[in-house]
Amino acid sequence: MDVATYKEDIWGREVILGASWDLLWLVVVSAFVVIALHAVILAVRRRAARPSSAGPRVPRHSAVDRIFHWIMAVTVIVLLITGVFPIIGLEFSWLTIHWIAGLVLTASVVFHIVRSLFWQDLKAMWISARDLKEPFDATLKPGKYSVAQKSMHAAVTVLVLLVIGSGLVMFAMIDTPWWERSNSIAESTLGWVFLIHGLSTLALIALIALHIYFGLRPEKLFYTRSMIKGWISKEELEANHDPERWAPGKSS
Amino acid sequence: MNDYRYIGKDFVPPDIVGKVTGKAKYAEDFRADGMVFARVYTSPMAHGRVTRIDSSAAAEMDGVIGILTADDLPPVEAPNAPMLTNTPVYVGEPILAVAAIDEKAAEDAIARIRVHIEPLPFAVDPLDSLVEGGPDAREEGNVYVRSREGSGFRSVKWTREQIDEFRAGKEPTGESVDEWSYGDLERGFADATVIIEEPFVTNGYAHMSMEPRTSMAYWENGTCFVYGSAQSQSFMIPGLASMLNVEQKNVILVSEHTGGGFGSKIAAYPMMALPAWFSKKLGRPVQLRITREQEYYVGSARVGFQGWIKVGFAADGRVTATDLFIVEDLGPNATGGDGSSAGDAVSIVYDPESMRYRGVPVLTNTTPRGAQRGPGQNQIAAIMAPIMDKAARELNIDRLEIRKVNAAHNATTVEADQGPITSAYMKEALDMGAKMFNWEAKRDQPRRNGNKVIGVGIGQGYHSAGSDGFDGLVRITPDGKIHLHSGVGNLGTYSYASTTRSAAEVLKCDWNNCVIERGSTAAHLPWSSYQAGSNTTFTHSRANFVAATDAVNKMKEIAATTLGGAVTDYDVADERVFRIGSPTQYMTYAAVAQRAIELGGAYSGQTWPDDIHEITQRAVQNIAGTGLIGVGKDTLRLEGVVPGLAVAFAEIQLDLETGKYDILDYVGIAECGTVVHPQGLAAQMKGGAVWGMGMASLERHVYDPQNGLPANIGYHQCGIPTYLDTPSEIRTGAVDLPDPQSPFGARGIGEPAMGCSVAAMTAAIADALDGHIFSRTPISADMIVNHVNGRPQSFKPLQINNF
Amino acid sequence: MASHDVMPDIELYQPVELSDALDLLERYGDDGWLLGGGQDTYGWLKDRAKHPKAMIDLNGIDSLHGIRELADGLEIGAVTTLVEMIGDPVINRDFGLLSQAAGRVASPQIRNVATLGGNLVQDTRCWYYRRGLSCYRAGGNLCYADSPQGMNREHALFGASRCVAVSPSDTAIALVALEATMVAASLDGERLIPAEKFFAGPDTHITRMTSLDPGEILTAVRVPSKWAGQRFYFEKVADRNVWDFALVSIAAAMAVQGNVINDARFVCGGVACKPHRLRKVERAAVGMTLSEESADTLALLASEGAKPLTYNQFKLPLMENLVRRAVRG
Repeated sequence: MDVATYKEDIWGREVILGASWDLLWLVVVSAFVVIALHAVILAVRRRAARPSSAGPRVPRHSAVDRIFHWIMAVTVIVLLITGVFPIIGLEFSWLTIHWIAGLVLTASVVFHIVRSLFWQDLKAMWISARDLKEPFDATLKPGKYSVAQKSMHAAVTVLVLLVIGSGLVMFAMIDTPWWERSNSIAESTLGWVFLIHGLSTLALIALIALHIYFGLRPEKLFYTRSMIKGWISKEELEANHDPERWAPGKSS
Repeated sequence: MNDYRYIGKDFVPPDIVGKVTGKAKYAEDFRADGMVFARVYTSPMAHGRVTRIDSSAAAEMDGVIGILTADDLPPVEAPNAPMLTNTPVYVGEPILAVAAIDEKAAEDAIARIRVHIEPLPFAVDPLDSLVEGGPDAREEGNVYVRSREGSGFRSVKWTREQIDEFRAGKEPTGESVDEWSYGDLERGFADATVIIEEPFVTNGYAHMSMEPRTSMAYWENGTCFVYGSAQSQSFMIPGLASMLNVEQKNVILVSEHTGGGFGSKIAAYPMMALPAWFSKKLGRPVQLRITREQEYYVGSARVGFQGWIKVGFAADGRVTATDLFIVEDLGPNATGGDGSSAGDAVSIVYDPESMRYRGVPVLTNTTPRGAQRGPGQNQIAAIMAPIMDKAARELNIDRLEIRKVNAAHNATTVEADQGPITSAYMKEALDMGAKMFNWEAKRDQPRRNGNKVIGVGIGQGYHSAGSDGFDGLVRITPDGKIHLHSGVGNLGTYSYASTTRSAAEVLKCDWNNCVIERGSTAAHLPWSSYQAGSNTTFTHSRANFVAATDAVNKMKEIAATTLGGAVTDYDVADERVFRIGSPTQYMTYAAVAQRAIELGGAYSGQTWPDDIHEITQRAVQNIAGTGLIGVGKDTLRLEGVVPGLAVAFAEIQLDLETGKYDILDYVGIAECGTVVHPQGLAAQMKGGAVWGMGMASLERHVYDPQNGLPANIGYHQCGIPTYLDTPSEIRTGAVDLPDPQSPFGARGIGEPAMGCSVAAMTAAIADALDGHIFSRTPISADMIVNHVNGRPQSFKPLQINNF
Repeated sequence: MASHDVMPDIELYQPVELSDALDLLERYGDDGWLLGGGQDTYGWLKDRAKHPKAMIDLNGIDSLHGIRELADGLEIGAVTTLVEMIGDPVINRDFGLLSQAAGRVASPQIRNVATLGGNLVQDTRCWYYRRGLSCYRAGGNLCYADSPQGMNREHALFGASRCVAVSPSDTAIALVALEATMVAASLDGERLIPAEKFFAGPDTHITRMTSLDPGEILTAVRVPSKWAGQRFYFEKVADRNVWDFALVSIAAAMAVQGNVINDARFVCGGVACKPHRLRKVERAAVGMTLSEESADTLALLASEGAKPLTYNQFKLPLMENLVRRAVRG
């Protein structure tokens, strides 16, 4: 299966057209298989007692972060639907929604970057050597974020930046109320832009599928709740985190 | 009216029946045993260098016989067009050819060819190349200078300010490479009451031959037989022989009918020679029929102009001075030369007291250019007509009158050297046209009716229309048949036939007894001029007159020798040579022919005049001993330029809301000396009128400047006028006054027939728009709509090859 | 660069039953090509700019031929030729707008063989696309016509979305004005599509001109009697008066009582990828009297919202003038 598709440019030379959308099915099937395997393995394993959500609560996500997360979630879903559905044959007028959603995503990501650089603890998301031991040592508990969460964040960061970056370049190809398209990108360059946009989209589809899956897993559902309501219970905190490394209430 | 037997009378040219019934054979209708079919692969880029050709997939396909590349052919020195190239200079330039057992197999194979080409800088607008730092269309330069002192490539650049000022309508100050002048220009403008200055553009456009050029060739015993599509016949041989690297005697060209050439098939062209080289390589006959699309690439196009003109008029309307500057859009191969011809045309049609012409022929990566009907003359005719009208308005002179004041007449001196012309009756043509058209009534009629507005215009066309020095050949055989050998070529104007009538006129023979020998250079054809340049009628009326006169003189000599008496005692009539005053003493032409064979020598072609061309010599050698031969080179008096002139009057009704107009009336008047063939002349005047209408409002090259890509690669995009774009009736007439330097008084007319039309149309459009001059061809509906609505035009000033 | 003008190898099917044609279309999918009069088809195929494996000739299917009167209006079979429509007494009597539009298509020779269905589903004439370039419409990722130096005189003012090509059909604007319904058949049965929805813009269907789904065949067009015998106006402005595509065209239907416009449909061709309804003009027209003043008022509404490209701004005044003329009659 090809990663890219090709076309002839205006002078008949072979150039990249974009990502091969046959990969979409590969991505969808792979994500499904991984999720199914994971679900089966966990179902077979003995279940640990789940900590109660009752009792005292500690803050996990501030309102600003939660708003950011859900704006991002909605825009990414909208972008995926508007970007991918027409390709798989569900045709509708998608472009305007797509670029507006893209701009909203870009703005929120910029906001998040600025905020995290200057007002948040950047190290909270940093993957350290110790973090990497975490999955293999049941005694090691994470700080605020598990290594899996950090990895997810790192991957999403890279992919979203790629998809936003390539998407912003594509604004040269469309008209908006503030921008007349220049349509002046060299065809061979344009192919790379589409390829990056497409491949990062495909990877995002896989990641988001995993993200949603984990977010909905019973033992992780409290994280999702925390992303909605902002808090986790003291019990959930103690069961899943190392209070030495994350003491909510003392710092954000 | 004259009292000639044939001159001025209609007749049925012998190829008509075949054309009407479909039996006429065009180049692609010929087949030869073992013939294979070729197709060409062309450049997708406007300028590039071939780095690799991968033809392996094609070569392995069933039915593929062979592949020909530029490396198989002798090198051709730029700017001459090669048959195949590794450095294409325009989109569509042939790079290689594939031969296969049928056309589909050849096409399938071509589709499998992969050619890697490294792109090079290109330009599709001369001003983009002329500006400092702008790309050159060829690596050798962006201008090709042709001069007696030596020709060659140069890179000519103007500063950005010079280009900007030119675009702004100011006199160009950049370098020109071609200049001539006469008279005192400064004084001319000082004496002028009105001075009009206009920048202008005339877009180039395709020749649009209905028959995409086809050629089939094979070799037999060192002789190459070429079945081609050609305007000319004998004239093709030297060029073809040169392209094939053989002697002229080793080339036979068969070209019985031609589906249009319009200047694009005047002389031998690369696609005609290509199958011959391919045939040499394969050892089989090869036919190359290019596609319609490819005809638009290689089929030649009119030169485009980006120019500036300043004309001074005295109070009486007389043109005192003309200053003309033309940047020519010359295509990549430096073919054309329309600019200077435009200057010549101005010097004749408007006869300025002083004049200067300056030009820069700039190479562009567009379709190669070639002479197209009235090359230069017709572009400038379209620009000049509204300028004349503007001056007339400002001077309060009638538009007809201002043309008459400046009209060419017998004493007019012309061109840079202010030499004489053979004769000219432009004023008479204008008067005749005005009367037929009812000029004054049409001029003074109510103009506006709602959104519709009437415009009337007068156009004048010119092209030099004749030369000398070619040969004529007639033969009378003992069966009494009169063979008129015509090497002119059958472009479709029938002048190949009508000019032979001057021989029949001299021979005073029955036309039904005449056989026109033509269609193949193997048919013993004399050296003839090209079938172009409005040239055939004058030139070959003379050449045939010379040959027939030679035949008559020889017959008289034979009669005198046989029947006694002096040569001067004899005359000819009714296919007899008879003794004057004693009609019973005569010999029939058949008998004379038999006697000529017996006598031999010059009578039957055993000897021939020293001054005839080698092609004519061979023709005579081949028919020697078969009858009485009349042959000779035209050395009759020819002093001065032979002008073909025409005027047109047009009435249009322009719809201000749509920018469209209907042509309500059109009158075209030919001033071409004595009329030789009335139906042929009327057809020329009508065809020219339609062509001019197309140039005025529809036809143009469009190139995407970013990619160097032409938009016009089919009939639809090229915008040739249709039946409903032309008036239901096109009225024609002719002045019919003889030219003293033509035995029967005839001059040519082909090209002026169109120039007068486009000029009448641009003048009529300007008239309908209260004198607004677009100074551009074509004037399309969108331009008119923009103008009427006070919108700027979408193109930038002096932009060319655009919508 | 190859250049072609010989028909490539292709399977030709000539079914006589619609069901067989649908089966064939199903079997070939994207590789099947429906053939009406062939006037758009042969160019594509001979140029090898499209590469179907099979042509499915619809001309042998009787049920797709002819003009039938219905309880409410007319039904015209999809392979009815334009010349049959032009000469049809009922169309001329009730829907002169349609026969006028059909009469301005291409040239007499083409109208003799061209079908109504073919005229409606024909592809755009954008010269870049027709050249076989890999633009958006051909599945590529850019538009050559709306590039900085693109030659786009004949392109769209409205509804462009990446692609700026325009609909070339003359009969389409007449049918949208007449509120016709398209009958589309597929193996799943029959679907009725309002004419306005039948034509698709690049925002939704960038690689095709209609909303016909894969596997569907346009079998007929139904023209309701709603507009029968009303006041019509059709005009097509093209560079050439025959054998050319519209720069701008207009089809208007007006229900006029006394001198007052009670209802109106104004549709322009050549300005968008599909027939372009002038809704503002239509709304404003209702209640107006037929007069030069009304014509001027409505004309000014015609080009609102237009986004001209480098070379096509002349279409704005042209549209306005055509609306003016439509009101004048």
